[in-house]
Amino acid sequence: MIPNVAPASADSAEPTTAAVPPRAPRQSSAKKFAGNKLFASPASVAGVAWLAALVAASLTAPLWLPYKTEDQDFTAVLSGPTAAHWLGTDELGRDLLSRIFASAAGTLGTSMITVIVAVGLGTLLAMLAAAAGDRVETVISRVTEVTMSLPGTVIILAVIGAVGTNIPLIMAILGVLISAGMYRVILGQAKSLQSQLYVDAAKVDGVSTMGISLRHVLPGLTNTIVVQSALIFAVGMLIQAGLAFIGFGPPIPEPSWGGMIQGASQNVYNAPWLMVPTGAVLALTVLSANAIGNALGKAPNSTASHLPSAAARRRRTMSVKTAVAAIAATAPTPAGSTAAKNTLSVRNLSVGVDSTGAGNGVRLVTDVSFDVEPGTVLGLVGESGCGKTMTALSLLGLLPSGVSVTGGQILWNGRNLAAATDKDMESVRGREVALISQEPMRALDPMFTVGYQLTAAIRRLRGMGRAEAKAEAVGLLEKVGIVDAARILKTYPHQISGGMAQRVAIALALSGRPRLLVADEPTTALDVTVQAEILSLLRGLVKDTGMSVVMVTHDLGVVADLCDQVAVMYAGEVVENGRTDSILENPRHPYTLALLAADPHANHAADMPERLATINGQVPQPKDWPSTCRFAARCQFAGSACVVPIPLLPSGTGDGLVRCVKADELAVEGLDWVATEVASHHVLNLVETPAVATRTVEKDHA
Amino acid sequence: MSTATSVRPEAPLPAAAQPLLEVRDLVVRYGRGRKAGAAPAAVDRVSFSIAPGETVGLVGESGSGKSTIGKAILGLQKVSGGSITYQGKDITSAGASQRRALGGELRAVFQDPNSSLNPRNTVGSSLAEPLRLRGVGAADARQRAEDMLERVGLPREAVDRYPSQFSGGQRQRISVARALICDPKLVVCDEAVSALDLSTQAQVLNLLADLRDERGLGYLFIAHDIAVVQFLAQRVVVLYRGQVMESGPAAAVTEDPKHPFTQALVAASPVPRPAEQAARREARESLGVRTGAAATPGPGGCPFRLRCPLATDLCATERPALRQVGGSAVACHYA
Amino acid sequence: MELFITKRLLMALATVLVVAVLAFMLVHAMPGSPGAVSLGAGATQEAIDEVNQRLGWNDPLVVQFFSWLGAAVQGDFGISLIDGRSVSADLASRLPVTASLAAGATLLSAVLGIGLGVTAAVRGGMVDRIIGGVCGMAVALPAFWIGIIFVYLLAVQSSVFPATGYVPFEVSPQDWALSLALPVITLAVGGAAFIARQTRASMLEALQQEHIRTLRATATPTWKILYVHALRYASLPIVAGIALQFIQLFGGSVIAEQLFAMPGLGQAVQNSVSTHDAPSVQGVVVIATVVVVAVNLVLELATKFLDPKLRAS
Repeated sequence: MIPNVAPASADSAEPTTAAVPPRAPRQSSAKKFAGNKLFASPASVAGVAWLAALVAASLTAPLWLPYKTEDQDFTAVLSGPTAAHWLGTDELGRDLLSRIFASAAGTLGTSMITVIVAVGLGTLLAMLAAAAGDRVETVISRVTEVTMSLPGTVIILAVIGAVGTNIPLIMAILGVLISAGMYRVILGQAKSLQSQLYVDAAKVDGVSTMGISLRHVLPGLTNTIVVQSALIFAVGMLIQAGLAFIGFGPPIPEPSWGGMIQGASQNVYNAPWLMVPTGAVLALTVLSANAIGNALGKAPNSTASHLPSAAARRRRTMSVKTAVAAIAATAPTPAGSTAAKNTLSVRNLSVGVDSTGAGNGVRLVTDVSFDVEPGTVLGLVGESGCGKTMTALSLLGLLPSGVSVTGGQILWNGRNLAAATDKDMESVRGREVALISQEPMRALDPMFTVGYQLTAAIRRLRGMGRAEAKAEAVGLLEKVGIVDAARILKTYPHQISGGMAQRVAIALALSGRPRLLVADEPTTALDVTVQAEILSLLRGLVKDTGMSVVMVTHDLGVVADLCDQVAVMYAGEVVENGRTDSILENPRHPYTLALLAADPHANHAADMPERLATINGQVPQPKDWPSTCRFAARCQFAGSACVVPIPLLPSGTGDGLVRCVKADELAVEGLDWVATEVASHHVLNLVETPAVATRTVEKDHA
Repeated sequence: MSTATSVRPEAPLPAAAQPLLEVRDLVVRYGRGRKAGAAPAAVDRVSFSIAPGETVGLVGESGSGKSTIGKAILGLQKVSGGSITYQGKDITSAGASQRRALGGELRAVFQDPNSSLNPRNTVGSSLAEPLRLRGVGAADARQRAEDMLERVGLPREAVDRYPSQFSGGQRQRISVARALICDPKLVVCDEAVSALDLSTQAQVLNLLADLRDERGLGYLFIAHDIAVVQFLAQRVVVLYRGQVMESGPAAAVTEDPKHPFTQALVAASPVPRPAEQAARREARESLGVRTGAAATPGPGGCPFRLRCPLATDLCATERPALRQVGGSAVACHYA
Repeated sequence: MELFITKRLLMALATVLVVAVLAFMLVHAMPGSPGAVSLGAGATQEAIDEVNQRLGWNDPLVVQFFSWLGAAVQGDFGISLIDGRSVSADLASRLPVTASLAAGATLLSAVLGIGLGVTAAVRGGMVDRIIGGVCGMAVALPAFWIGIIFVYLLAVQSSVFPATGYVPFEVSPQDWALSLALPVITLAVGGAAFIARQTRASMLEALQQEHIRTLRATATPTWKILYVHALRYASLPIVAGIALQFIQLFGGSVIAEQLFAMPGLGQAVQNSVSTHDAPSVQGVVVIATVVVVAVNLVLELATKFLDPKLRAS
């Protein structure tokens, strides 16, 4: 068989999403990439070693091979491995070892012709199509589609009929055929690179189309090109062997791998051994090339699956032992409200990356506590990287795979959801606790109609029949403010607007009549007028159904609009919580103070300051969180009292809790977070270098 | 130069008062041939101008055409009609070489700090690219790159690092540095701070304000967030479905909006003061603006009419011209 | 949708036409005139010229092409230069052999490949690594080598299957199936490995989609998430992969036919190329293209039908 005339995509998750450059935070210089990945996997190291040895052995063959390729040893026809013939002999008594290695260089070399033609032509066409616009792209794409739907093998054979067994020429024509597939693989990536903003920036500079292709597009393609080259190399070898096998190899006395297997197949009845050496060498060589391709093509950090592995699903979200320990540790906490029905009590919740994975036990959320009374809305607010979303997802047991609850309790109607199995959570999700997420379009299944998704959920969660569920679906859509519900039920998610999709997502969340709605930035992706409508809808739903809401947001205005209570999060912990009006009007924690001062929405046009207040630096990475006050390094008011772990304590005057030793002092003095000139030494801390101050602090404390 | 906002062409301005940038009756249609003719224009006869040293904010929701206008000015989007004039030179369809001659003066900062720098090039080489194109020597370019990095609050050593080694806010500072390295006169900021968190957003906004005051820069500041625009801009142009709804001094437009759409937009932007926000919410709900979800108006007339509480039959047939109401120009029959 | 189908049909027609021109030109580039080929080595120049004259070999190329194309459209690919039989009749008897081989191998590849790919993606861990390793081997080993081993083990050593030969369906359905078994399995090994990889990657990507979380948040049972929603999402690239596989297996049957002595199209190409039998080469190239393009068209339409976005537009 002549395999894979179109290049197979490299193994892992690389193919369809190939376009977007990886967002891995610390992916460094392009020069290092190949070596690192190549030598990261033992298979590809072995592959490189084998290919190098094979080429070296083959090129030096005349110097060391024990026999000439045509030497016939009539005393040992069809022999197995012997001292004289290490790999045995064929039907004419020719030494297999000599023939295999002598023909290796030719096979590899001619396969390279295919690689060069296919990759060169494919890349060139892809870059041309990506740079020259729609019309050119359409033409090139049509031509390659035609090429790809040709029976390649038959065409190649017809070519052989015309030109004879001119191996280099045939391999070049094969390259042309394969280039169509190569073009397809590269095109998506080239287009995505063309649409990068740095390409726009270069265009603004007046860099020519050619300059952009060479300077900004081609370098971004190198990894794919190398990966595909390795895979096509393997394909080339297999096809060449296949052609030789059916008699279109090099002229007769000259050895070729396919021809040798053909010879062996004639004698498979009386000398089956003959199949082994050539087959093994061919397979090893192909495997080597594939291993190299796969190692280079491996996506550095693919996105986590939203479905945990089978094993993880059986596991409890937190081991029972830790759960018990956590409960014991927190027993003294006055958790009297836990008995109340439909009240959520989160106690000392911690979430971390599993220590087995790449993140190695990094904590993402630590010691978070809050309560949500029925019919109220709690806002979880903070900047990105503060652990808001992780906290919210843990309420449903929907943390991404590789992340889990490591301690604390989530008490809900007499159960500790933090210690529940995935199976246990299935009776809670949708029926008691529901979720709406940030991007409504992506939250709905693009393959099914709104009606299907909604009625399936209603039938499952409410045990209704088909007709009844459909009527209920219409009712739900009307409840979330959709006028033409019957029409929307028949549409697919891509056919409706973002605001409409979020309404549908809310209807879906309501389908099980939940008592608690977890809303993860539900309006962030929407226009501000649509956001206002969705917020009004949520407010109405809370009023009508008496359910409670945990609202994750970065927008203090949204908090002011909707939330009764608010918990401000910074670097994985709650720094301040309490009633929304008291916290927003009278913030106690410097971080809250600073956020409000930095928010242009907090000012009227008339008294808009010349400069906004800023917070120096940025939220530290989870691995860099100090054990002391995590905000101290950026805080205007930080002092020597801040270098110890700070507990969340009742604030002197307000009703809430605050995690700052200076809270009362600040309240008394009425200090404001002042707009500071950004001194350059403050922003000098690159992400890489952990703040020096925090390190010494830790030492002192220990 | 706020007078240039009217739709009527005016007599050429005297050289001294020549605007830095003048956009006149700009039309952009997507697609080609029949498709483009049938679809409503992404940008529909938009006019405004920017004086030297002035910051004009371009506000609108998704699909309002605000980014398209920015792209058209930067030569990244083909223009279907109207003209764009930079310091008296027509640059409506300037090619790469004309851009190169101009590129030093007219530059851009884009939204996404993750993709606005080539991850495979060092910061230094990204910064030097526009200088090298203009024949600046390698050593000189590096020197200027280091100076510029220092100016935006980053260490000089950053020239040898890769973008992935910086946080989002720092990368946006590098983008600002790249835009300013050739001493431009006008910078188009397309959602330049939208992807940033509050504290970083404030840092970058302050930096932009500092640089403007220091160098007399003009900005076209494109954003969906009216409060952000209000902070930086002297004048604001409000867009809806590719058309200018209202334009005028920032304080007038944001504090006393005249157009029903601007009113809806301003009212919908929540403020972080619960009591005030409750009042704003009530005011917004009493405006009677209808949801935008299903409303796609046909061609002709006012694009906002299907959501507008003031709309009458006139609004469906006649596109309202911009007219002076108070300090602003408003495109509404009933404002 | 109609517009799309029309466009694709025109594309398919254009593809066949391009191949027809290509085949015609290649054949004319072959060494030896038809007369020389058909009369063999001992023929006189006059005899050769006479045959060439009769076959129109001396006419202008364009005339020859259109007279050949005109006949071909009506299903007449001329007469073999070697045995004087009608090429069309010969191909008609061979097509079912290759078609059953390719269809059988594609079907088996798809079933095995989707099964293995889904298992690898869903089970993960050790199972994933083992399936990955097996697929890696299966892709690296040439089909002809695998075929010979199968023959040796299953036909020669244990006589479960006939080693070679083809029994037409009309003669004995049971023997037909038995005669196809080994070649189909041989071809399917690589195909299944390819589809398994494609399936695994597509499933993993599907499980990374955010709507999977919504499904879990509404208490959708895991089996339904996997086999209804994720598989449905993954189905587009999988079907595209199967279409690609069919093209390759159809071509790949050349080797299986040689190995198992099956009188299919592949054998015909191989023989006619070796003997420079121009009409046969032309005929088989065109027929193979028509079949491949037709099947590709059907599978492509299936892909479009699976995608709500494309169906709606």
